[in-house]
Amino acid sequence: MNKLKFIIVSILFAIPILMTAQRSVNGTVTDKKTGEPLPGVNVLVKGTQNGTGTDFDGKYILSNVPETAVIVFSYLGYAPQEISANKNQINVALSEDAESLNEVVVVGYGTSKKKDLTGAVNKVTPKKFNLGGITSAENLIMGKVAGVTVVAPSGAPGEGGSVNIRGLSSLSLTNTPLYVVDGIPLAGGVSGSRNVLNFINPSDIASIVILKDASATAIYGSRAANGVVMITTKKGKNKEFKFNFETKGSYYRPYQYVDVMTSNEFRNLVESTGDAAAIGRLGDTNTNWQKQIYQVAMGVDYSFNAVGSFLNIPLRLSVGHTDQEGILKKDEFNRTTASINLSPSYFDNHLKVELNARGMYTENTFGNRGAIGSAISYDPTQPVYDANSPFAGYFSWIDPASNPPVQYSLAPTNPVALVNLTNDFSFINRFAGNAKFDYKLHFFPDITATVNVGLDNSTGNGHSVTSRDIPTSNPSWLGTDNTYTNEVNNKILNTYLTYSKKVNKHDVKLMAGYSYQSFDYDNRYYDDYQFQQGATDYNKVDLSKEVLLSYFTRLNYKFNDKYLLTASLRADYSSLLNPDDRQGLFPSVALAWNIDKEDFMKNSIFDVLKLRVGYGAVGNVNGLAPYKYLTRYQTSTSTAGYQFGSNFYQTYRPEPINKNLRWEVGKTTNLGVDFSILNRKLYGSLNLYNKQTKDLIIWSLVDPFTNFGNRVESNVGDMENKGIELELNGLLIKKNDLSWNISYNIAYNDNKITNMPFNQEVGGIEGGVGNNVQSHTEGYEPYSFYVYQQVYDVNDKPIEGVYVDRNDDGVINNKDKYYYKSPLAPIQMGLSTRVVYKNFDFSITSRSNIGNYMYNNVASAKSIPADITTQPFLTNVHSDYFNSGFETHSETNLLSDYYVTDASFVKIDNVSIGYRIDKIYKNANLRLYGMLQNVATFTEYTGLDPEMAGGIDNNFYPRPRTFTLGFNLDF
Amino acid sequence: MRTMKNKIFNLLLLTTVILVGMSCQKDLDQQPIDPDSFTQNDVFKDANTAKSALAKVYASLALTGQQGPAGQPDISDIDEGFSQFSRMLFNLNELTTDNAVVAWGDAGLQDLHGMYWTAGNDFTDAMYYRLAQTVSFANAFIENAEALNSDQEVKYYIAEARFVRAYAYYNLMDLYGDVPLVSTVTTELPTQASRQEIFNFVESELLDIQNLLKDSGANEYGRVDKVAAWALLSRLYLNAEVWTGTNRYNDCVNFSEQAMNATYSINTNDVNGNGTAYDELFLADNNINGAQSEFIFALNFDGLHSQTYGGTTFLIHAAVGGSMAPSDFGINGGWFGLRTTKSLVNLFAVDLNAMNNSLGTLSDWGLVGDATPNGWGSTDDIELHETSTNHYAVYVDLLQGELKFRYNEDWGNNYGDDNADGTLEASGANISIAAAGTYYITMDLDNNTYTITPYSSDKRGMFYSNGQNLEIEDMTQFTDGYAVAKFKNVDSNGNAGSDTSGDFADTDLPIIRLAEIYLNYAEAVVRGGNGSMATAVNKINELRMRAYGSASGDITASDLTLDFMLKERARELYWEGQRRTDLIRFDSFTTANYVWPFKGNDPAGIAVDSYRNLFPLPTNVLSINPNLTQNTGY
Repeated sequence: MNKLKFIIVSILFAIPILMTAQRSVNGTVTDKKTGEPLPGVNVLVKGTQNGTGTDFDGKYILSNVPETAVIVFSYLGYAPQEISANKNQINVALSEDAESLNEVVVVGYGTSKKKDLTGAVNKVTPKKFNLGGITSAENLIMGKVAGVTVVAPSGAPGEGGSVNIRGLSSLSLTNTPLYVVDGIPLAGGVSGSRNVLNFINPSDIASIVILKDASATAIYGSRAANGVVMITTKKGKNKEFKFNFETKGSYYRPYQYVDVMTSNEFRNLVESTGDAAAIGRLGDTNTNWQKQIYQVAMGVDYSFNAVGSFLNIPLRLSVGHTDQEGILKKDEFNRTTASINLSPSYFDNHLKVELNARGMYTENTFGNRGAIGSAISYDPTQPVYDANSPFAGYFSWIDPASNPPVQYSLAPTNPVALVNLTNDFSFINRFAGNAKFDYKLHFFPDITATVNVGLDNSTGNGHSVTSRDIPTSNPSWLGTDNTYTNEVNNKILNTYLTYSKKVNKHDVKLMAGYSYQSFDYDNRYYDDYQFQQGATDYNKVDLSKEVLLSYFTRLNYKFNDKYLLTASLRADYSSLLNPDDRQGLFPSVALAWNIDKEDFMKNSIFDVLKLRVGYGAVGNVNGLAPYKYLTRYQTSTSTAGYQFGSNFYQTYRPEPINKNLRWEVGKTTNLGVDFSILNRKLYGSLNLYNKQTKDLIIWSLVDPFTNFGNRVESNVGDMENKGIELELNGLLIKKNDLSWNISYNIAYNDNKITNMPFNQEVGGIEGGVGNNVQSHTEGYEPYSFYVYQQVYDVNDKPIEGVYVDRNDDGVINNKDKYYYKSPLAPIQMGLSTRVVYKNFDFSITSRSNIGNYMYNNVASAKSIPADITTQPFLTNVHSDYFNSGFETHSETNLLSDYYVTDASFVKIDNVSIGYRIDKIYKNANLRLYGMLQNVATFTEYTGLDPEMAGGIDNNFYPRPRTFTLGFNLDF
Repeated sequence: MRTMKNKIFNLLLLTTVILVGMSCQKDLDQQPIDPDSFTQNDVFKDANTAKSALAKVYASLALTGQQGPAGQPDISDIDEGFSQFSRMLFNLNELTTDNAVVAWGDAGLQDLHGMYWTAGNDFTDAMYYRLAQTVSFANAFIENAEALNSDQEVKYYIAEARFVRAYAYYNLMDLYGDVPLVSTVTTELPTQASRQEIFNFVESELLDIQNLLKDSGANEYGRVDKVAAWALLSRLYLNAEVWTGTNRYNDCVNFSEQAMNATYSINTNDVNGNGTAYDELFLADNNINGAQSEFIFALNFDGLHSQTYGGTTFLIHAAVGGSMAPSDFGINGGWFGLRTTKSLVNLFAVDLNAMNNSLGTLSDWGLVGDATPNGWGSTDDIELHETSTNHYAVYVDLLQGELKFRYNEDWGNNYGDDNADGTLEASGANISIAAAGTYYITMDLDNNTYTITPYSSDKRGMFYSNGQNLEIEDMTQFTDGYAVAKFKNVDSNGNAGSDTSGDFADTDLPIIRLAEIYLNYAEAVVRGGNGSMATAVNKINELRMRAYGSASGDITASDLTLDFMLKERARELYWEGQRRTDLIRFDSFTTANYVWPFKGNDPAGIAVDSYRNLFPLPTNVLSINPNLTQNTGY
């Protein structure tokens, strides 16, 4: 490969550069809206390589222009203009063109105009971003793109969302898309960090581009199996400095509580079902434990940025600070970010340099989430404090037989004590930077050489302390004090050559390159408790390293602006796989037809009509642990030694091994139509896709006589996603002082496991040990619920212990379980609308999932009153007991389909209103706004929230309702 | 000049690109850099490092992974604590029988006692994985250690690994019947061997290594010697008829004799002075209190250094609940799980009524107090029997507490003992009963004296009945069924084990102990083996002498019947992982010959299909290995 490059370049050296002398044209290019000069605009004689760029004042001089020529003015984010060169001075005003199909979209290793795209690609710009107290980039696009699901894992501050594009394509490996920031693919986060993307201040983001189908993602090969989210940050501009300051304050209110019995209800229950001992345990207060651990939280956010140029170098600087409390007491997220972008050009724009550096410092304080479950089950008749308690005055279930006094070993711990007597902090430093050089060869300007070098380093330090006063059943408890340090160091080098040539109606772009990426993981853990216990290995170290090496090439060919072809090939080599199988070849090909450019469309209502068809393959080993193909022995910790004589020996265990592990491969076929009618009154796109994942790497069963465990990662099974996506954008009103637009998207996805030699039970639940409620089974959706079919009486009340004997063998056992629904929503919709009237703006964002089901594990594990008489302490009972009437803890009760219910929902995520004051002072513009987030949820699901990743509702950190006020000042 | 500069720049750029591209290829061959990860060469460097690999072969039966108590499990698909070998052995061999019931609703657990388990049961699956994995660990050890076998110590290691492998196969054969026979490291899908073939393999391995293992008593604690091979052969031959159709009682007698004549001895060291040396076998210091002399093969646990949620930690925590004080067991709390059925309890029952009736007629003198079941407020005293005029006596179950004698349920005429000197005083002080138990009480109103002596009974029956119902109505209620207080994490002096948090037990778990070999010998003789009936009776009486603390429980040759043997094995070995195997050998596991509460999920107990003498192979393994056939019935 490298040899080939060398030969090509050697030949290129020999090609003479020819020039002909002609007249010159000059002028100024300005922004149509502001009238300000635009520096850095490309000015090119159409059909030639003769071009230049505008200077700091927007001025240009273009020599050797024939009179008959056409000059093309183009600038990123602006609609290009073509003007005939029949004058000597040509002044041009370009207008911003964020929405049009001429906009430039960042694709892998280069950019493309939207109209030249051949794959399923969405671009979301700040105008369309979600508003509100958003701390992590992915939440900006929640509900905005068909087929892209973003689910916040909880209501904790600073937490982002799990992003999923077009259903699940992997079972054991990660389903998270690849994040590429300014051309640099990111590594995962470190422990103690709440989210991988939250090191980017959302206000620094210029655009988010989502590559959905494999014809678009294949250029990223093995890391792109779940789609690619490309984030481009804002850049410096070659003009006078402009500043922006934004601040907002938010108020977070808990409004959802798990429906457990009130103290009166619980007291009545104990008095009617309990024995004398149980009744004697009742207290005489009314404590709502959930209200004791949640709080109204506040948050503030500041960001400031400056864009301009310094010593002729375009520069952007930004700093941001976020301080957000969680509604769980003590939870806090405190983040400071700073970023700098320099984008100088040299040698008449032949060498473009882009330097990005981004730093983040986060302090997290984690509220004790153990308190969430404990607050649900703590006896509401007991007080928070008890003067006689030996545990710092917190009421506790003391075992009277114990000396020193300890809590009963299985008793729940006072939730308020859990919150107040634990401290858990983490401090995250992250630096990500890259230097990108685009060099258009002087002697052969058709070729651009690009080198992009990046570094992404995260270090997390955590410290958690549990007080020695916390209620415990351990008579020798001394408290704990643990610290950890995790470091991920990701180094990357991308380098590629791009050759562009347009001859007559043929437009060719050829790109080839090489990428090297390494990930070093260094995790250290210090366990003070083990130290106190005299263990020798209280200090733990985990180290590993991964390397990914790739060669890639892509051809873009366009004929007559009508017919487009994109083909790419990427070869990936991963250190995770054995030398024989570590190469993966991932091809793609796509065709598109700009029908609107055809003569017969001349008078149609379509501004744009484009048909696309594409196919691509991508690999996946993301999330696979390293060294799986090597024979390895793992030592034991000092608590797992074995005694011979009077000594304890550490043991060596041979680890499960798979020498034949190979790439999991996803193949997608995509058929798409893009359209725009009546001058963009209505535009959108429709995509149909079929994605087949073959050789799924799963934590698969092996015959235990043939390995050192009963499971090892193996290539077993296939899965498919079939779906259809529709996106519509309508501009209903467009008048001088009133505009109204609506965006709507709907996606249908059918996710099925098409080949799986055995059932893989997943979805561990609380209530007993080892119970799973879900299964990966051939012919069903992944994570399908695998349950007993409850029998109901005439009043629709479930009859305890009675289930449908589905196999008619006269007994109810696990052969009677069946597959009933799944947590994946087959239909997802997003609807947002924005109205601008004079200086007011108003917008609403809403989403809906249809057909997703949820297993209510809080109800199933905590609505059984049996513990009242069997335990020497009381635990509260979930109010679902009034409905189910179930009395005993049993596997069949737990796995009854009674607890699996429809969790379809409509959510109004966000309502916002803003008012803009222009020229509040000189050139300063001010916008004031207010927002309400998590406005309303319409659902029949009776648990806390119908939207939880994984579909199992248990100990969920509730999402708060948020009210935000802020202002944004441009000056 | 400028062009020149550009050319140089370009060349430099390209050279960099090419060099970087080539130099990084070798980076793809990453080797583990973690300090806890080792290669084969590190592990089998010398006898010292190999010993740590041998430790894993043993530990795969005692612990569940590389991080105690949990965190890096050996086995997936099951809770790590559940996956511990002896815990699963308890679930499959004790919980399925008259010996045990459990309160918990974990997936597949209630199925076991109710005998309605199906293929895919978590415990039958995981036990198969565990044993097969032990075989794989042993195979890898044996192959790799060969390179070091010029070292005599390593030769012993290899023989020991072969013993552990034979023991794993012994269990596979017992639990599952026909299983693959794999004795080398291979990735090839194995075929199923017949039970006879597995039997032959275990037998030939044990016969082979009996000469390769260290001499009796010559190995360090925790590692096996020759006697282990003989002892396992004794067990193998005793059950041979079930597994192969051919009885081998003569061989059983021979190898039992060899084991009995070795250096091992029945523990008679009653360190805590409670009248029997039996309970010492199951205490936290059973590796040093004398019990170790009886342990031919034991799994070693330690509260600090060998932690697991299985093993004795499980046997102790799970058996504690109700009104039992966890501190009596050296733990921080009970798990409210395991109890037993009345079928086991009744094996220890003595008929106090009959004994009392033979004392004489009921009198108006009675016992009152909180040491009696009725308490101080009672008007229903425990009445004494008149043995002769002014002489009274009774056999009675008492609680820890106090009592007094009184006449006709009335305080008008009562006696206590002011100085605790055995002399009665009218309205004297309460008489203290230090420990619950069965007592023989006499009262002599001629001399105003009394005696309270513990009644010597079979002390192996260690049940906790306070607040527990003998009858089981609801399996999930801990208080239904007597609790079992056999295993404790306190040492012979009553001190709790080394883990001061009270989580993990120090108590080692005997897998084969000499007492079992006595029982094997006696049973083989009763079944027609060519041993000595007199020796058999002596050996059984040696055990019963320890159990009763006196000769009062001794038997004679006429008592030594098969029916007696089955009961005696339960009395001696209950909860030690052998009950199901014993019941099958006596054709009583699935049949109506013997039923117990909730056998067949029926409160009174009913027979179940005979296919349940074997457990199902894991359906998941069947789905990936087409060479295997499921056991009949599943």
